[in-house]
Amino acid sequence: MALYERSGAAAYGVSAERFAAILDEILRKYLYSSSTQHGSAQHDSVHSPAVSPEYKADFCSALRLEELALARACAAGNERAWQDFISRYRQKLHSMALHITRDGAHAAELADSLFADLYGVTAREGVRKSKLLSYTGRGSLEGWLRTVMAQEFVNRYRKQKRTVSLEEQTEEGIQFAAAAPEPASTSDPRLEAATDEALAELSAEDRLTLASYYLDGRTLAEIAGMLGLHESSVSRRLDRLATGLRKRILAGLRMQGMSHAQAAETLETDVRDIRLNLRSRLTQDSGTNTFPGSSKIPAQDSGDGRTD
Amino acid sequence: MTEVPKIVPNIVFDRLRAAPPDRAHPEADLLTPFTERTLSGTEREGVIEHLALCGECREVIALALPAADVAALADETAADRATSIPVRDGNGNERTWLTLAWPNLIWTNVWANLVRPRLGGPGLRWAALAAGVVVAASVLLMHPGKLNQVVLPSSNRQVATTSPMEQSASSTKADETQLKPETQLSQQHPPPRLQAGPQTGQIVMPRHQAASTMLLADNKKQSAQAGRPPAGVPTLDISTRGGANETVEVASGTPAVTTESSPQGTLMARSDAPAIEKAKPALQSQDTKASEAQPTSAQASEQQNSGTAVAPGLRLHADVISTAKLAPAASRALAQHNVIWTITGGVLQRSSDSGQSWQDALRPNHPLLCSASRDKDIWTGGQAGTLFHSGNGGVTWVQVRPSIKDQQLSSDITHIDLPDDAHSPDKIVVSTGSSEIWSSADGGTTWEKK
Repeated sequence: MALYERSGAAAYGVSAERFAAILDEILRKYLYSSSTQHGSAQHDSVHSPAVSPEYKADFCSALRLEELALARACAAGNERAWQDFISRYRQKLHSMALHITRDGAHAAELADSLFADLYGVTAREGVRKSKLLSYTGRGSLEGWLRTVMAQEFVNRYRKQKRTVSLEEQTEEGIQFAAAAPEPASTSDPRLEAATDEALAELSAEDRLTLASYYLDGRTLAEIAGMLGLHESSVSRRLDRLATGLRKRILAGLRMQGMSHAQAAETLETDVRDIRLNLRSRLTQDSGTNTFPGSSKIPAQDSGDGRTD
Repeated sequence: MTEVPKIVPNIVFDRLRAAPPDRAHPEADLLTPFTERTLSGTEREGVIEHLALCGECREVIALALPAADVAALADETAADRATSIPVRDGNGNERTWLTLAWPNLIWTNVWANLVRPRLGGPGLRWAALAAGVVVAASVLLMHPGKLNQVVLPSSNRQVATTSPMEQSASSTKADETQLKPETQLSQQHPPPRLQAGPQTGQIVMPRHQAASTMLLADNKKQSAQAGRPPAGVPTLDISTRGGANETVEVASGTPAVTTESSPQGTLMARSDAPAIEKAKPALQSQDTKASEAQPTSAQASEQQNSGTAVAPGLRLHADVISTAKLAPAASRALAQHNVIWTITGGVLQRSSDSGQSWQDALRPNHPLLCSASRDKDIWTGGQAGTLFHSGNGGVTWVQVRPSIKDQQLSSDITHIDLPDDAHSPDKIVVSTGSSEIWSSADGGTTWEKK
């Protein structure tokens, strides 16, 4: 009852019973699900306090209840809720879209499209299906809207990529992301195995850092924002990872029968390749992004001096 | 400027790309708390595991990050750091390093570009140098007092606490307890002398010392008139009403600190948290008398519980949560063992048996969202700027309120980073849901916002 009062759901015509049902649905999704879906709290129902009443109460109290009530009331078609939603988020939606697309026309299109999804213009079996129904209050509603919009943008680009011909895109003046460099032809499978092993020993966060920096070309600042770290921490981490990986791969190669000199030579040759690859890749990437208008910043703009 | 990371072998590049994502994409409901850094434990690991393999979701995350989140970090330069060093000038106004240093910068430029080229021989240079010394000396003579003022660092710990043992000791030996001045400024204006009050378990500040704190209040007159403490000053904002006593409730069942106020007028008393911290060793040294103190402390607890011990007046938020319920032996054991910490449903939990069982360690008013630990230093943050620190492995907790100038951290704290930095071992970096980055190099005493 306290949660219901805190949420202000009554103002939007959501009854206490309905709100309790919503919370129950969220609890079932995150606390009782034993699926391997991401984010389903994979707690062991025997040993974990996940399903204790106290845990459930804590989980619910940590939700963004007020925003949850607003979203669900909007999904239910409450007029006052929609008024509040529009006054709070309409302008933000357009700002978000502009931030994502970096283009006024595409931004308006993306924002309007998402707004339609949120309202639920498509009906299934006569029932309007609002996208807001999938908001569960685990993050801010604004952050959720931003994420949903980013997903929509990425999906839309992926679809367009499939349907629009190369000529059409060229006519539109779209620049293409440089083709990812071909994997280096490593004739020695021992190098691959040693590298896989070295990567497997890293934590997921370390691998994410590496992939973001070396594969996606993210700046240190972007990675820091993603992981909630300081930029210098990311830099130190990358430095440590690069050094550690090299040592581990060398050790792995020696374990597989290479002499120290052979292992070092194999790796040195490889490093020379990547320097060439990275230089050419960074050069080609300047001015083009994987997704048009995405926030990927070329190395020379980022100021982090990602050169060798 | 951040150093450029080293290059990795080409094969790493290839193998990272070669690994395909093996599971379905996480929903926006999980990516959102991830970007807001409110996801913890298993869920966060799961998302990171997926992101390490899925370029599309990394793209989504990058796009979904608030623009300010990246821009704030990207704008960081050495100059920014310099300008953010808070110092106070002789008038008590907070100024940045750069604003204080600009005359020197101007002089340096003038010297390099105008004066030096025109000076012919070394003799003239020496003459110019001598003239400069004379000018500097005359400035010192004209403003003798300014340079001797020591500026207190901005402290944000509102109240320091003592462990249950210390509290017991303080209740019996309170009349002997005197806070030691730490800085030159605090020597000029010594912190309030705490004396045993009329009720056991209370510490009363006599009138003359309350009056002495008025000197500080006068020093910050403008701020006092504004009804709020001056920026960055570690204050207990004890604004009193006439005839009322100010009470600091340290924790449930612990002695309160009471000051007798001047009956008329508004007083902004100031109690510097570092000074209280300084007093802790002195209190600890009285451990031998703690056992004698226990009955008295118990009486104080009873009185407080019955509502008689707390004098009427303005109560300050204690900002301190002590695990007073823990037995001393348990407290010691807690401090010594390797304890695992996690946030569950807004509550900080600890496990001392490798995760077999969990106990609630801290449950503040606002839900906690993240935590970080380094040896016995444990930090945890949550909604509405809630930030707690324990320097003794979770035995006692102190609420920290990061602030700079007139701004206090009030948004949700979503991530705490304790970087492994040999140069500043007490460094803490706090990220918020509104894309702010707050950092402190001295364990939470002074803060910078980026």
